[in-house]
Amino acid sequence: MPDVRVLIVDDEPDIRATVSAMLEIEGYEVDEAANGADALEAIERHAPDVILLDMRMPVLDGWGFAHELRRRGHPMPIVVMTAARDAARWAGEIAASAFVSKPFGYDDLIMAVERVRPSG
Amino acid sequence: MSAIELISLVNQSLFIGLFVAVLRHALRERTRATLDTALLFGSVAAVVTVSRLAQLTGTSDAPLTTPFLLLLLNLAPFAMIRLVDDFSGTPRWVQIAGAVTYVGIAALGFTFAVQPQLVELAIITWFVAVGGYAAFAFARESGRTRGITRRRMRAVASGAILFIGAIVGIFVGALLAPEGAFLGIVSQVAALAAVLAFFLGFAPPSWIRRAWREPDLRVFLERSIHLMGVNDERRLIIELQQSAAAAFGATGASIGISDGERPVLRYDDGSGDWMELPEDAFIAGRAFTQQRRVVALNAATTDPANADVYEHTGAHTVIAAPITVDDRRIGAMAVYADRAPIFVEDDLWLIELLADHTAVLLEARDLARHASDLQAREEAARLKEEFLSAAAHDLRTPLTVVLGQAELLERRLARNPAAPVDAVGVSRLAKEARRLRDLVSELLDAQRLEQPGAVMDRDVVDLREVVDVVRKRQLEHDLAIQVEEPRTPVRSSIDRMRIAQVLDNLIENALKYGLNHVPPQVRLWEQGAEARISVIDHGVGIPEAEQDRIFDRFYRASNAQSITDTGMGLGLYICRRIAEEHGGRIWIEPTAGGGSTFTMALARAEPPVEPDVVVAEPHWIGPTAEAAADA
Repeated sequence: MPDVRVLIVDDEPDIRATVSAMLEIEGYEVDEAANGADALEAIERHAPDVILLDMRMPVLDGWGFAHELRRRGHPMPIVVMTAARDAARWAGEIAASAFVSKPFGYDDLIMAVERVRPSG
Repeated sequence: MSAIELISLVNQSLFIGLFVAVLRHALRERTRATLDTALLFGSVAAVVTVSRLAQLTGTSDAPLTTPFLLLLLNLAPFAMIRLVDDFSGTPRWVQIAGAVTYVGIAALGFTFAVQPQLVELAIITWFVAVGGYAAFAFARESGRTRGITRRRMRAVASGAILFIGAIVGIFVGALLAPEGAFLGIVSQVAALAAVLAFFLGFAPPSWIRRAWREPDLRVFLERSIHLMGVNDERRLIIELQQSAAAAFGATGASIGISDGERPVLRYDDGSGDWMELPEDAFIAGRAFTQQRRVVALNAATTDPANADVYEHTGAHTVIAAPITVDDRRIGAMAVYADRAPIFVEDDLWLIELLADHTAVLLEARDLARHASDLQAREEAARLKEEFLSAAAHDLRTPLTVVLGQAELLERRLARNPAAPVDAVGVSRLAKEARRLRDLVSELLDAQRLEQPGAVMDRDVVDLREVVDVVRKRQLEHDLAIQVEEPRTPVRSSIDRMRIAQVLDNLIENALKYGLNHVPPQVRLWEQGAEARISVIDHGVGIPEAEQDRIFDRFYRASNAQSITDTGMGLGLYICRRIAEEHGGRIWIEPTAGGGSTFTMALARAEPPVEPDVVVAEPHWIGPTAEAAADA
């Protein structure tokens, strides 16, 4: 499998660690950010292929991040991961490619990432 | 024609004009009071007419003219005595004495030609005595009554005084003729003023009635608007009754409210309770069942079954109207007075107006109540929805970690059973599982405390013991709480586990928001009848605008979001509910120099024994410190 880089954006360190462990087992390269602002910095350092995005975060939330991301011209797909009931609607609002609802299992997450990641 | 003659002529035409107005009123509404009023005015008008006629026909000096004039003139005090009885009541012997005196003086009038001075003296005495009596009686009545009735009584009392002055002046003027001519005219004007005052008091024209009633009616309307907010229905009814009685200048009013299902009307019984009566009982009941205005000039005759009640309450005359909006029969209003002439003809229109107004008020209040009930229910439903959604959200995050870590372990084990256990993952899993457990208990606890009366197991406890338990427990977590407390017991009837929980929550809260990690302080003291415990931190503080809401469910101060926090935002809500269940309260104030001070106040179970506390509160009155503390 070619190197596919995933950026996990979530304010909960335990969530980041768990998701990160799952993706590493599946052979993805993983980067982490605690909020939208950190994520924008991480992207400038090293653009990911897929972004896993929590919506409610301090400093810069998912909506603000997505808006800024597209404004800067980054085209990579976003997978929304949220505990809110409005996961589908929120994903629509920021034109995300997919969403997973917390609590998601191992397979839910991996399938969502595989569906949106660049093939090849 | 001289100026004096002109004034005299104008005066006399006015007497006659007023008599015609009063007579028309009396013929339209034939009650004793209107007929007596007509008699009073008739006597003066007749004297004026007869003396004019005598002048015109040149019979002024005829032997029978003067006695005939006196016969008519002396009727005025007699009518006055009857009017006093109509409006205020006179003993029977006064009425008899009045009639006898009238006959006597009228007879004496025929000896005028022989002994004019004696006759004049008798007449002056008769007028002054009756006028004085009437002035006194009406003045007393004006002190007893209110509103329009008081104004009417004042008018007739001043009329009676003017009347005495006028009669005395006319006689003295005649005695001093011709120098007394001017005095005679002044007296005539005074007589006119007296008659005008009687006219206003005894038979007020409608525009005067409206003007006199306006202030009380305005009060009724203004007061009734504020009554919308009165929750206690009985108080509302009492206020409406008082306002209605005042608007009529009546003795009292009563409002019966329909039960809606059973055929009864509910009245305030005057001693703080409702009393139910059959819906057709009393005059108000008739207005209710027949859905029309009812006038009972003599209530005891109209409704003999309840004669003693009318007697007892001073309800001689009753007027009543149904309180109805569209087809909804809400009740009936009755206004009563101890004297029939208190009411005037258009009071029927007024009671209908007040009853309609009352109907609208009660109906609007009912609707507002339903609306606010509905709103409260919707608000409760919305809060519950929010509660569930927020709870679900808060539980999902740790659950994601627990599920994810467990599946990771499962997969690693499946791939390589011999691989070393991922210690970091396991401890993460355990940590999140514990967090999940804490959240669930917090949630359940809040849910349990939702119901009033859900707690408690109360004992009279020295709060210092509770503080000590909490202090020691915190010490086990290496947190040294600084405690400030009195040297004597601070007793309160509490559930000690719950109060300790409040302190733990407040301390935990203080640590969470205490940025510089200075341990919070706990202060226990007594203030009046309360025992107070404060937890004082030196953290970020809570914006003032949010200080009320932080005790709401799931509320987190806006500046707390940036701080790592793990709770569900239910901690302070739980604290508040525990305090409330103890009959106490909890609030927040800024700590001097930054941070927040949370204080819980509980009722003290008993006063401290030291007498110096009583001295410290010198405003306490009572024989013992115990009594003072109970107060």
